[in-house]
Amino acid sequence: MPEKSSELVQGTLEMLVLKTLALMPMHGYGIALRIEQISDGAFKVNPGSLLPALSRMERAGQVKGEWRETENNRRAKYYALTEKGRKALKSETAAWGRQVAAINRILEA
Amino acid sequence: MGWLRSLLRGSKSLADKRARNAEIDEELEAFIGESVSEKMRGGMCLKDAVKAAHAEAGTAATVREKVWSAGWESTLDRLWGDLTYSLRRLSHAPALVFTVVLSIGLGIAANSTVFSMVSKFVLAPPPVGDPAAFVSLFRTYDHGQCCNYFPAPVYRDVREQAKSFSDVAAYYDAVPASIGSGGESKREWGQAATENYFEAARLKMAAGRGFAASEESSPVIVLGYRLWQQRFGGDAGVIGKTVDVSGHPFTVVGVAREGFRGLDPVLDPQFWVPLGTLPELVAQATDPQSRLAQWLHIVARLKPGVTKDEASRELDVIAQRLATAHPRTDKGNGIVLKRLDYLGRNEAALHMFLLALSVVALLVLAIACANVANLLLSHGAQRQREMAVRLALGATHAQLLRQILLESILLALAGGAAGVLLSLWATYGLSSFKLPAPVATDISVHVDWRVLLYTFALSVAAGLLCGFVPAWTASRPAVPGALKGESALARPGRRLTLRSVLVVAQVSLSLVLLCGAGLFLRSLESAMKIDVGFRSRGIAMMAVDPQLLRYAPERTVQMLRDARERIAHLPGVISATTTDGVPLSGGHRSDGFVVPGYPAPQSADSVELYMAGPQYFETLGIPRIAGRDLGDENPTAPKAAIVNEEFVRRYLHGDNPIGHTVTGGGVPYQIVGVVKDTKARTIGEQQRPVLYRAIAQNIASDPSGDGYTIMARYEGDSAALIKAMQDQIHAVDPALAVFNVQTMEEHMQEALLLPRFVSTLFTVFGVSGLLLALIGLYSVMSYSVSQRTKEIGIRMALGAKATEVQRMVVRGGMRLALVSVVLGLPLALAAAKLTTSLLYGVKPWDVATFTLVPLLLVAVSLVACWVPSRRAARVDPMVALRVD
Repeated sequence: MPEKSSELVQGTLEMLVLKTLALMPMHGYGIALRIEQISDGAFKVNPGSLLPALSRMERAGQVKGEWRETENNRRAKYYALTEKGRKALKSETAAWGRQVAAINRILEA
Repeated sequence: MGWLRSLLRGSKSLADKRARNAEIDEELEAFIGESVSEKMRGGMCLKDAVKAAHAEAGTAATVREKVWSAGWESTLDRLWGDLTYSLRRLSHAPALVFTVVLSIGLGIAANSTVFSMVSKFVLAPPPVGDPAAFVSLFRTYDHGQCCNYFPAPVYRDVREQAKSFSDVAAYYDAVPASIGSGGESKREWGQAATENYFEAARLKMAAGRGFAASEESSPVIVLGYRLWQQRFGGDAGVIGKTVDVSGHPFTVVGVAREGFRGLDPVLDPQFWVPLGTLPELVAQATDPQSRLAQWLHIVARLKPGVTKDEASRELDVIAQRLATAHPRTDKGNGIVLKRLDYLGRNEAALHMFLLALSVVALLVLAIACANVANLLLSHGAQRQREMAVRLALGATHAQLLRQILLESILLALAGGAAGVLLSLWATYGLSSFKLPAPVATDISVHVDWRVLLYTFALSVAAGLLCGFVPAWTASRPAVPGALKGESALARPGRRLTLRSVLVVAQVSLSLVLLCGAGLFLRSLESAMKIDVGFRSRGIAMMAVDPQLLRYAPERTVQMLRDARERIAHLPGVISATTTDGVPLSGGHRSDGFVVPGYPAPQSADSVELYMAGPQYFETLGIPRIAGRDLGDENPTAPKAAIVNEEFVRRYLHGDNPIGHTVTGGGVPYQIVGVVKDTKARTIGEQQRPVLYRAIAQNIASDPSGDGYTIMARYEGDSAALIKAMQDQIHAVDPALAVFNVQTMEEHMQEALLLPRFVSTLFTVFGVSGLLLALIGLYSVMSYSVSQRTKEIGIRMALGAKATEVQRMVVRGGMRLALVSVVLGLPLALAAAKLTTSLLYGVKPWDVATFTLVPLLLVAVSLVACWVPSRRAARVDPMVALRVD
């Protein structure tokens, strides 16, 4: 193992995906790469968990998929955030903030 | 809206699985492609990059599986897969499916048939609007003894004084009338109700309306649905028309909705008239001013917001007020409020009866379930290898369990469907039983939605119950052994296997059922042999009610005399007579009697009263012991009567009664003769005192409420005679409606209703149980033989003879059968004790039943063991040892 990649905290993947897509529409690998880069390689997202999550979020109406050409001339499904997704991101971020603060309080107590 | 989108997408992907899979694959490919491009940009060579990207992404199949499992449709899809797999598997074992479906079908049919009775008599809400707020009132006597009906003045008092009710209605439950005119008139039973009856019950009408407030005693009539269909062809134009009701013109104002048969669960009234018209329709209607005659049913609707407790308290106050105002008649009487369909004293007995039947039916189902569990166990044992392979390939125990349970539930549901079909047939058969009562009754039962729901729930429960143990054991094979084809259940040397326990339980339970069937058959046999004291065959009977045509009493006497004489002269008729009621019709008329000079008898039973025309005792074959016969007595002479021996025993201490004058209901009768005893109300009763009075002398003073019967003792064809008798009656007056036409044989069948009903039911249950137990024993024995083929082969190779092997197998099976009999007999004896009150002339520990039934069971078990033992004896050691 060259570097230690940590497991994602349960249930946070969808929030991270929402946050990533808030910048611009991306395809699956783009999302995975972006999360890996921004987390400095701490989080690796494989398609086995990313694609089901995207499928779930598409069902829930938080993202909208569209097949387009990539810069490498491949057809890939690009996901864009919907209005509903934007709201979900906002509420999930807020909830996450509260949770982290609470956990920190407990750990420092 | 999210769930809707999810539902749409899910259904779309289920509908076109391939397209969805292709989409997932394409997305994954793009993912890997981009990943490869990225890695090559980072300096890897193509080969390494492809390898690394694939390693990171995992296999396409896994990803596909994970994406699928993110949606709800995957659960459904898996279930569907299991379902089709189960169906495919079951289609390969038609014999198993047939046996299981038949077994469960029998068990379910028993239950749904019994439940159709429960549904009709206990669960079905009364056929009125908002039944919860609609209650019955009863009059109590002797400070709280329940239950009597009401005198009309008490009804009026309650209606005026009670503030808890929005409506208080009353009805009289059995009014005969001939409906229609001329030769087409038919005698029907109906009810007379207060004008607010239909409003209080909130009944929807099929056509027209109920009574209006002003129609207290107007000649208006509401028709029952069946009568409307049969006599008026279901024509709505009949509303407003006039029909002839016992010679009076009545205007039809409405038709009750389909299925409404009044508020009583058993009676079958087909018309309703206002209570005030009753005196016109019925000879000697009850006096509406009498505070003694208790004849009206009261039903009342609670005002919104008033509880039953509050209403009860108000009724107590009213009852006390009435007791003070009318101390002579109302003292000690109370008024109680009950559920609308309260059956009085009979209710507890009916519930006990239905409960007992339900228990018996559940017993049949338990036997069936044990049977099915057994079959599935042996079927599961054959699948140990398949299960082991699937476990080895990564299936979980839960998956296997779910799959096997699904199979048994499928089987049970198919059994449930078969059971419903069987019980449709059974309820049709049961509905042909008729109550031996002169009034129209309806005790038919049907498979309704409650029965279907119950059957469905019971089938699923039965499926789970008899599937769980086999599923558990089958889903947990000892993998290493099972892969080689060894069965975990067939461990040699283990005596007490689960399968034997199931068989023993099954056989002993079926012994209990069979003993019940035996007892009730013996009881029916002895009930049929009970000497009723009169001729029980070769008599044709039919009834007329001249009062419905407003005959004066003298004309009725004359009409009956004419008809009797005409019929007596018909060819084939030996003798003919007239009476006011056929014996063994439940209750008839009775009165308390006083004999001057003798003390009142200890048990103050009332005396049964029958009117007798000329040749009565000759026709019914009742031997006369002393005195003379009754003839066409002079209506104005002192009343002559003949009594039976029990009357003499009870009222005259065995002294010669001839010449004595006895008084009943205030009327003196002079005794002119004595006859032998006969059964009066029911077949099983203790002898009752009976007094026969001359019909010609009593029609005027005490007319019958439900007509007069002409009986003819005949030789030859009854059908032709009945036609001729009807013609003779119509020759006297063509307008007379003839009813209750039957032969004495038919009447006796009805009189044997209870023993016939119970013994039929138990025979069906018992035989089903026996059949099931046999199948169980047979399947266990033949399975054990097939499992022991190798062992038997070795034994025979070592010199055992075919007969010895056969004996060994039979001995094994018979041991199970004998253990079952030993365990089952005490159970059966204990259960028999509970049936004492239903038995006629048979002790619950009837020796014949309790020796013959176990013997029968043992004999039948012998056959069930003998067949597989033949197969064991034919095992060829050379072939057997080469197996595997």
